[in-house]
Amino acid sequence: MALRDLWDDEYLRLRVMLIGMMAVFIVLAAAIWKIQVAEGKDYQRDLMKQSVRRVRIPGMRGRIFDRQGVRLADNRPSYCIAVYLEELRQPGRWPKTIAAVEKQLDELSQIIGVPRRLTREDIQMHIGKRLPLPLLAWKDLDDVAMARLAEKTLLTPGVEVSTEAVRVYPQGKAACHVLGYVGRAEIDKNEEDEPYHYYLPEMAGKSGVERRFDDLLKGEAGGRLVRVDVAGFRHDDLGVREPKNGNDLRLSIDIRVQKLAEEALSGVRGVAVVVDPQNGDVLAMASSPGYDPNLFIPRISAGDWATLTGDPSKPLINRAAAGAYAPGSIFKPVVAMSALENGKSTAQQAYNCPGHFELGRARFRCWFTPGHGVVNLQQALKHSCNVYFFHLGLQTGADAIYHMSQALGLGQKTGIGLDYEVAGTLPNDAWKRRTQNDGWRDGDTCNLSIGQGFLTVTPLQMAMVTATLANGGTLYRPRLLLETIGANGLATQRIAPQAANDLHWNPAHIRVVRNGMLDVVQGERGTGRYAAIPNVQVAGKTGTAEYGRKEEGKKLGWMIVFAPFEQPRYAIAMMVEDAVSGGTTVAPLMKKVLSGLFEDAASAGKGEG
Amino acid sequence: MTWAKLKQALGRMDWTLILTMLALLVFGITFIYSASYRSDDIPAGSFFEKQIVWALLGLGIFMVCTLVDYHHLRNVSWGFYALGLVLLVLVLLVGKKVYGAYRWLNLFGIQIQPSEFAKLTTLLALARFLSRPGRNLDEPVVVGQVLLIVAVPFLLILKEPDLGSASVLIPLAFFLMYAAGVPLKTLLILVAIGLLLMPLGWFALGDYQKERILVFLDPGRDPLGAGWNNIQSEIAVGSGGFWGKGYLKGTQNLLGFLPRTVAPTDFIYSVVAEEMGFAGSVLLLALYAALLTAGIRAALVARDKMGRLLAVGVTSSLFCHVTVNMAMTIGLLPITGIPLPLLSYGGSFMISTMVGLGIVQSVYVRRFRR
Repeated sequence: MALRDLWDDEYLRLRVMLIGMMAVFIVLAAAIWKIQVAEGKDYQRDLMKQSVRRVRIPGMRGRIFDRQGVRLADNRPSYCIAVYLEELRQPGRWPKTIAAVEKQLDELSQIIGVPRRLTREDIQMHIGKRLPLPLLAWKDLDDVAMARLAEKTLLTPGVEVSTEAVRVYPQGKAACHVLGYVGRAEIDKNEEDEPYHYYLPEMAGKSGVERRFDDLLKGEAGGRLVRVDVAGFRHDDLGVREPKNGNDLRLSIDIRVQKLAEEALSGVRGVAVVVDPQNGDVLAMASSPGYDPNLFIPRISAGDWATLTGDPSKPLINRAAAGAYAPGSIFKPVVAMSALENGKSTAQQAYNCPGHFELGRARFRCWFTPGHGVVNLQQALKHSCNVYFFHLGLQTGADAIYHMSQALGLGQKTGIGLDYEVAGTLPNDAWKRRTQNDGWRDGDTCNLSIGQGFLTVTPLQMAMVTATLANGGTLYRPRLLLETIGANGLATQRIAPQAANDLHWNPAHIRVVRNGMLDVVQGERGTGRYAAIPNVQVAGKTGTAEYGRKEEGKKLGWMIVFAPFEQPRYAIAMMVEDAVSGGTTVAPLMKKVLSGLFEDAASAGKGEG
Repeated sequence: MTWAKLKQALGRMDWTLILTMLALLVFGITFIYSASYRSDDIPAGSFFEKQIVWALLGLGIFMVCTLVDYHHLRNVSWGFYALGLVLLVLVLLVGKKVYGAYRWLNLFGIQIQPSEFAKLTTLLALARFLSRPGRNLDEPVVVGQVLLIVAVPFLLILKEPDLGSASVLIPLAFFLMYAAGVPLKTLLILVAIGLLLMPLGWFALGDYQKERILVFLDPGRDPLGAGWNNIQSEIAVGSGGFWGKGYLKGTQNLLGFLPRTVAPTDFIYSVVAEEMGFAGSVLLLALYAALLTAGIRAALVARDKMGRLLAVGVTSSLFCHVTVNMAMTIGLLPITGIPLPLLSYGGSFMISTMVGLGIVQSVYVRRFRR
């Protein structure tokens, strides 16, 4: 039967297949026999010789400099001493070994002059749990200890020294919020399949510039295959893959200006942001109180962390970008520009201020109860007359003010790139309906006109607005990074200033507002006169805004300035919590900053006088 | 179902296959624990817990596949084949990149490896194609069609790139053609052509694949990088000796000489070999041999050609995986990412293996009554 034969053939083929598979398995078993049994001893010897240790070498993290080249963040070596218990093993029972290890540690402690950190229990625990792994005896030893160790003896068998780079912030607290800090990096997912005995992790930016530019700063890890003899000595390097160092960064921050700002703020809670109005460079961004980022290196202690996070004055927060506050009267120049640019009012327009303003049955007060009398726009800015701005705001309309504020970057992040930056709130009808379930009313317009109500801004945003008023209508994106310097110091890349918006302001309009702001500081009885310094024309605006619960009556003091008046080099926004008013609390602090900035001009003036 | 009927149904099952399968699953979970073990106070990681979940899920799927009459596969095999291809295209378009290859697809929050699925669907399609009544296997055009069915998923998997998974398809097709009755002469010509084309294949390989083959030829070439796994897994196996170092005592693994990410997956055998020695290796091979025998037995007693080819396909796929994986671990073959069935950590492969074994069981349960 032909069909029957075919079936038989197929059955035969299946049997052949099974026999073939089994034959392959037998060959496989023979190969395994060869490796495991016949040559097993060789491999066991290989294993013993596995004093080859694979060490990961993290790439050196890039340094951070200020615009003048002063070091803001750097790396320093940190030394650890590790002990291999198995290599110190004594004949007999474990306690003998433990005693030997303790003796060894005591001797080392004598030599390096650092007390022993590990107890007998620690050693016992390590023997029980992870004997083959090195026991870390001392961490982060200084150069002195290492010098002693080096001059005293050769390292004893079983003891090994390893070096690790740790971050250091030479300027201490200065610019802490801008720089941020680093912490231990998570293990890189792409390297997971690479086995290391020493996984020396690198640091990763956890906040501030360290975090924002982590990709530029961090290097690329390399590795080294080291043959270690029984004594733990490095014999030779079997293979090295060089790590790549990260890029150095040059920031726009001028540490001299930064320190001026921080000194001015010492003892108060507040912010000072100094920018260059011609390109948006952030020269200083100070937030007080601050913290010492070195506390985070190599890792912050639980106690320090609790102190920092528990402090009601919130030292970890960068108020300059992470805090949104009511601007108060420093918002008035924005209102003035929206009125003029939209043709809703003119510089000559005057209103009478009797000290209050009535809207329906509601009464809005001017801060100066006797009233300012009849004032025009320039005078209203000088005296910060609320009544004038109630009239002006209602005349201009909330929409126009909203659009001008939006064009000036309010209600949006500035794009400085710091992770903690907030946008603030720029309210309009749609916003109020969405969040308050209520429509926009004229009373809201009145509040908006004097920078109160729902409006909140960050000091950084106000510094950029001030820079725009100073340069006549170009809103810059704050520039924090000037250039990146490649690992070899050669390949540098400059980051160009970037204009976020060109407002095309009518020169006549901006001139009126600028003149009003000049009167604020330079004019007799101007609200910001305490900020005036000799020989430099300063223009500005003060502000006072209520915050917290009404009964507490807490006030924020604000002041924005730009100087010199004609060719402004600095635009500054300053804010102080718990102030009396912008003019009395902030203006004198502003003067300190300005005096420092124009130190040369002041002394030159003296020389001439 | 009455008790008697249930008893009868249970009696018809292939208990050799079930028991061997369970033994291998337990074996696998035990050593995945060991592979991710570092010390008592550090959790062994979630690998082995996840693997338990995958194994239980796999057992459920195995039961379902047993209960379903494999004849139904006749109607859906081309549909599954097409679905497999769609997934392979998808992984190239929207897949997740891991170590430079697009092998993972995120489906509703679950990470799957379409190549594992495609191996199975290609097997189904081949069995369906070759078992069709009236197919004249003497005609060379049939061989051409088989090669076409294999070539499409092969090239798509190669593109990911996953040379290991793709290359399993070639012996699979070969085994199936052999079992289906394609004349030996035709098969020998195919082998000859394949050998002639081999040098051309070198140029089609990616750089890292070439590197792996060069490292295989000379493990000292890059001891820190690509050669590391070769050297270390060989030392792990070799140092195991006859009886091994004991469970959880493998220093190669514990000290991290064996990379912790591949120890529970593709290199699980080296952990077994180090800790259980030659005895463990032989036990493992014996279990696999029993499993393969059960698979071929199912093919022998199959009611029809479709069933026979399905059983042969699953069995030969298992055979390829076991052989290639163990051979690469002991340095007989270059390292390709091929897991060890039922032992290696991994969900997609676990599921596809259990589906395959379920089909074999389904064939066996509905066997030819003599």
